[in-house]
Amino acid sequence: MNVVTNNDLQCTIALAALENVLDPEIGLNVVDLGLIYRLEFDEPGLGIAVAMTLSTPYCPMGESITAAVEQVLKETFTGISVTIELTFQPPWSYDRISEAGKIFLSR
Amino acid sequence: MTGNSHTVGGDTTHRVVLPFYAYAAFSFLAASLLLFRSSSAFTGHFFQPAILAVTHTMALGWGTMIIMGASHQLLPVLTENRLFSVALAYVSFVLAAIGIPLLVYAFYTFQLGWPARWGGSAIVVAIFCFVINIWGTLTGGNRDNVHAVYAVTASVWLLLAAFTGLALVYNFTSPFLPQGSLAYLPFHAHIGIAGWFLLLVIGVGSRLIPMFLISKYANERLLWIIYFLINGGLLSFLFLFFLPAGLSFAWLPIIVVFIALVLFGYYCYCCYRERIRRQVDSRMKISLSSTGMLWIPPILLIILVAALPVGHVDSRLVLVYGFITFFGWITAIILGMTFKTLPFIVWNKIYHARSGAGSSPNPGELVDNSLFRAMMVAWLAGSLVFIAGICCRRVPVLRAGAALLVSAAVLYNWNVWKVLTYKSPAK
Repeated sequence: MNVVTNNDLQCTIALAALENVLDPEIGLNVVDLGLIYRLEFDEPGLGIAVAMTLSTPYCPMGESITAAVEQVLKETFTGISVTIELTFQPPWSYDRISEAGKIFLSR
Repeated sequence: MTGNSHTVGGDTTHRVVLPFYAYAAFSFLAASLLLFRSSSAFTGHFFQPAILAVTHTMALGWGTMIIMGASHQLLPVLTENRLFSVALAYVSFVLAAIGIPLLVYAFYTFQLGWPARWGGSAIVVAIFCFVINIWGTLTGGNRDNVHAVYAVTASVWLLLAAFTGLALVYNFTSPFLPQGSLAYLPFHAHIGIAGWFLLLVIGVGSRLIPMFLISKYANERLLWIIYFLINGGLLSFLFLFFLPAGLSFAWLPIIVVFIALVLFGYYCYCCYRERIRRQVDSRMKISLSSTGMLWIPPILLIILVAALPVGHVDSRLVLVYGFITFFGWITAIILGMTFKTLPFIVWNKIYHARSGAGSSPNPGELVDNSLFRAMMVAWLAGSLVFIAGICCRRVPVLRAGAALLVSAAVLYNWNVWKVLTYKSPAK
């Protein structure tokens, strides 16, 4: 997935949860789409900093997708604060789609 | 991670976009009903009040209104910037919504007094506001974006087309041009068709097609070549139009634009070939196949131009050309793209705050696919029958074709209404 993190275990749990957040048009989840760049966890377990992107800046679905990411992480890690940084550096490209995502799209 | 940070929510509010869609849907129905009522006019010359009314309902109420509405939504995506002014978008809508019926009424009754003048003026001001909005959005965003440059150039051509149209209206009742208004119709019509519709469809389509197909294909250089060919073709057409011997070279701009269309067809083919998403839905297939239909009008134009020196231009050919342009490729693209873009806008309105992870439907599920298929069959059958009616000059055949097109418009309105009034199922 190529996601930068400071806590592999927590990251695995978060990514598993984020597989439930789908791009509404494509039907593929944000993890396999390669939209998640970084997941950083505060050591005391108080917060998660997410760096993610969209397939295009000002994507009409952007607000829905980022809100869903925030909600899913809050549900998975109860009582934790989530901050989302939306970045377009580097810009998203088709090469970021995972092998599983490519198989899903080729069906 | 360093780099550009953005906030989300830069997309245009649905409140300003949806009225354009609703107005366009109603205009399509009104134009089809006018076509049915005025079918007999299509057995004669193309310059008739009813045909002018149908053409302007299709060009302005249907094509322009929906494209203007969609542009307010799509331009921020193309330019990576917020819409310059939501207020200007409302002003554009209100002025155009008042001006179009006034102008169409004036054409239908052929009383080119105040309704035509006021209606035409309102439309020109509406388009001027639209151009300012498009320009402001582009200049505050990514100026090197080829798709956005297409959109801005198209909007300028639209303003020129509307302005010349208004001048022709005035020239009807208070002549001030060297010739009668009929002589300038090709000038007015082709600025609108090629400058506005064609440029905008290619500019926006070249962004949306790879986006919806999830295609890896990108060729900005080819898009710039197409851009210069179409604008070069248009400028040479305008130059030749005012040259005394220009008629001898009238084929030149058509060939140039035709080459651009072939290149755009190649671009679409490459996007399709290199798509990651294998499944292509019916709405996307219709939009893609309509790019093939783009080639038909220039071929008809070449036949028309070839007939000019002989001095015998068959008015049926002109009627088929106009019909295929407005009820053919422009309508095909809109029919397909309405049900790709409208569900997105409505879905966002309903679900954006609910962040429905896993529990919300796909935007495509807001569309009734049975209605969509029935609409496409009615539209295709109606178009073919109506063209046959123009060719054989038989009113019953024209009526049958128009009735099928009315059915297509009813089904379109029904489906649009279902999407617009979609309610999330109660949990």
